[in-house]
Amino acid sequence: MLETEELKKVFKGKPAVDGVNLYMDEGESVGLLGPNGAGKSTTISMISSLIKPTSGDVKLKGQSVLKDPGIIRNVLGVVPQEIALYEELTAYENLKFFGRIYGLKGKELDLKIQEVLEIVGLRDRQKDIVKTYSGGMQRRINMAAAMLHEPELLIMDEPTVGIDPQSRTHILDTVRHLNQEKGLTVLYTSHYMEEVERLCDRVYIMDHGQVIASGTKDELKSILSGEETILIDLDRPYPALVTDLQSHEGIRQALETTKGLKLIVPKGSKLLGSIFQIAERHQAQILNVNVQVPTLEDVFLHLTGRKLRD
Amino acid sequence: MISVFLLQWQRLRRAPILVLSFLGLTILFVSVLAGFGGPNSQFTIYTYGDPTLEEENRDKWLDRLNEEGNLTFHWVEESEAVEAVTSRSAGMALKLMNDDYQILIAVQDPSSVMIENYVYQVFSEELRLQEVASHVNADEFYSNLDKVMSDPTMKVTTESLSGEESSYAFDERLHFLFGMTLFFSIYTMMYSLMNVAEEKRVGTWDRLIVSPLYKWQVYTGHLLYSFLIGMIQIVVAFLFFQVVFGFDLGERYGTLLLVIGCFAFAIVSLGMLVMGLVKRSQQMQAVIPILATAMAMLGGAYWPIEVVSNEIMLALSKGMPIYYGLDALKGAAIYNMGMPELLQPISIMLLFGVVCMGIGINLMERRA
Repeated sequence: MLETEELKKVFKGKPAVDGVNLYMDEGESVGLLGPNGAGKSTTISMISSLIKPTSGDVKLKGQSVLKDPGIIRNVLGVVPQEIALYEELTAYENLKFFGRIYGLKGKELDLKIQEVLEIVGLRDRQKDIVKTYSGGMQRRINMAAAMLHEPELLIMDEPTVGIDPQSRTHILDTVRHLNQEKGLTVLYTSHYMEEVERLCDRVYIMDHGQVIASGTKDELKSILSGEETILIDLDRPYPALVTDLQSHEGIRQALETTKGLKLIVPKGSKLLGSIFQIAERHQAQILNVNVQVPTLEDVFLHLTGRKLRD
Repeated sequence: MISVFLLQWQRLRRAPILVLSFLGLTILFVSVLAGFGGPNSQFTIYTYGDPTLEEENRDKWLDRLNEEGNLTFHWVEESEAVEAVTSRSAGMALKLMNDDYQILIAVQDPSSVMIENYVYQVFSEELRLQEVASHVNADEFYSNLDKVMSDPTMKVTTESLSGEESSYAFDERLHFLFGMTLFFSIYTMMYSLMNVAEEKRVGTWDRLIVSPLYKWQVYTGHLLYSFLIGMIQIVVAFLFFQVVFGFDLGERYGTLLLVIGCFAFAIVSLGMLVMGLVKRSQQMQAVIPILATAMAMLGGAYWPIEVVSNEIMLALSKGMPIYYGLDALKGAAIYNMGMPELLQPISIMLLFGVVCMGIGINLMERRA
């Protein structure tokens, strides 16, 4: 349905996006993962025809979006990172305006407004002024405004930043519903790994303007198939213990976490015994030990750690 | 475009304070400066005498000076006159001497110029007659003079294009009305244009750009709103003062409307240029008052440009759209001028608007 070819954007001599190639099939849910400044927003801005790429092209069903931005604008819904609403107006008035600019009017528009308000769970608050809403509710209306015209492709740029868990769950459930039940194609960007893991069929991992890995979740996790993660909760921080573990030849990575330690070790390495011994030497009190299978977050740490920090 | 245009009115309905306050300020300022004075303002001039002034001469000068109906020369003690001028309760005072006068003045304004001219005229005329009378039989001379003046050999009448006597047709009330109304409308139009900057800041602009709307439709919706809100404010202020205070705006309503439209176009375009030059909406908020005040001062909104003699100030005034707006409004309302006579100021405002709009949109797009 959509593909980018060597997409590149240079700002003041510095490449923000550097030769990104990605594709999306119809009805697919694709995640774009990366830390702040990785180039995710610039990439989706180019895909949505908001900014022109320095080089490369975006093709929708084989047609160049660069040559005719109109082809994507009619079938696209964008949920921006910021709350892009008129806060002095009510939710209903906002949706009415955004519906009108997509050519909806009269009863059809009214029907659509009620439909999307139902989806985002704010039908009973539609007559309230947007600025009186909580951050989570505003984000839900932000999303509703992008769904009014029944887009074929929904691009969501970090739609859950800074909201309460209830609204976050609601948004994620809605996206999942739209993708799985209605066959909507979704491009979802986030730096919350668990969201992408929960929603997306395939994932592109970006860093420094480049795609550093891509594939299905299982394909990406297989990058770490030879490793496992051990999470150890401690009664208090032990910096000397971390240093000792980092120098242990069997442990690939030892990181201090808020609760204690995170260790990446070769799969089946049976290091728990020696880890306990080192902890005892430091008189550290172990509260809990958890051995995990790799997550996308582990993959990302593994990839960017190797690329950026080593 | 219509959706974007209507949206701005919807937003105004929810937050009308800014626009209403500028209309309120226009009414307040014009009322205070010109509205309560009435069409035939009475000026009272505190008059006192030199110690050498004889009582007979004092009465003679006061009688002569008070012949003009709109001016009252009120006799007071010197200390009272000086105090009144010092405390600004009186703009000026007149000191009479036997065959001369002095004017004590605090602030030079159009009315003080008019009074000065009048006093000079009375004294020069009277002293000229006295000079002639001193060389002939005075009684006979004055008797002949009265006879001749009542039935002159030749009567000279000065008429303006409008057919009225006297070519000097300065109307202080209309000047304040036009000046203050255009001045405050600059604020309304430029602040309403800040909606564009605000939309870019919050992200709704991007949302519109990735919609099927064309960019020119989004711009036109905003510009049309700013243009109309400015025009409406000016028209409402004019109608208010015409109906409530009886200001005489003439009969050329179509021409007045055209001039207002051209002025509004020039200011909206200037607003676009400013938005193209500044980086943030906060900067725009700071620039607007400076720009509006400077334009009003230089362009003659606060005082008639005719009282300015500085060449540089006069040259700068020619670069201000408000100068041409005032010129054209006065031309239509006071001198009853039509389109052909007002073509020059109207064309300059339109040219100013086209140039500013072109550069402004270009700068904004380049930054985007």
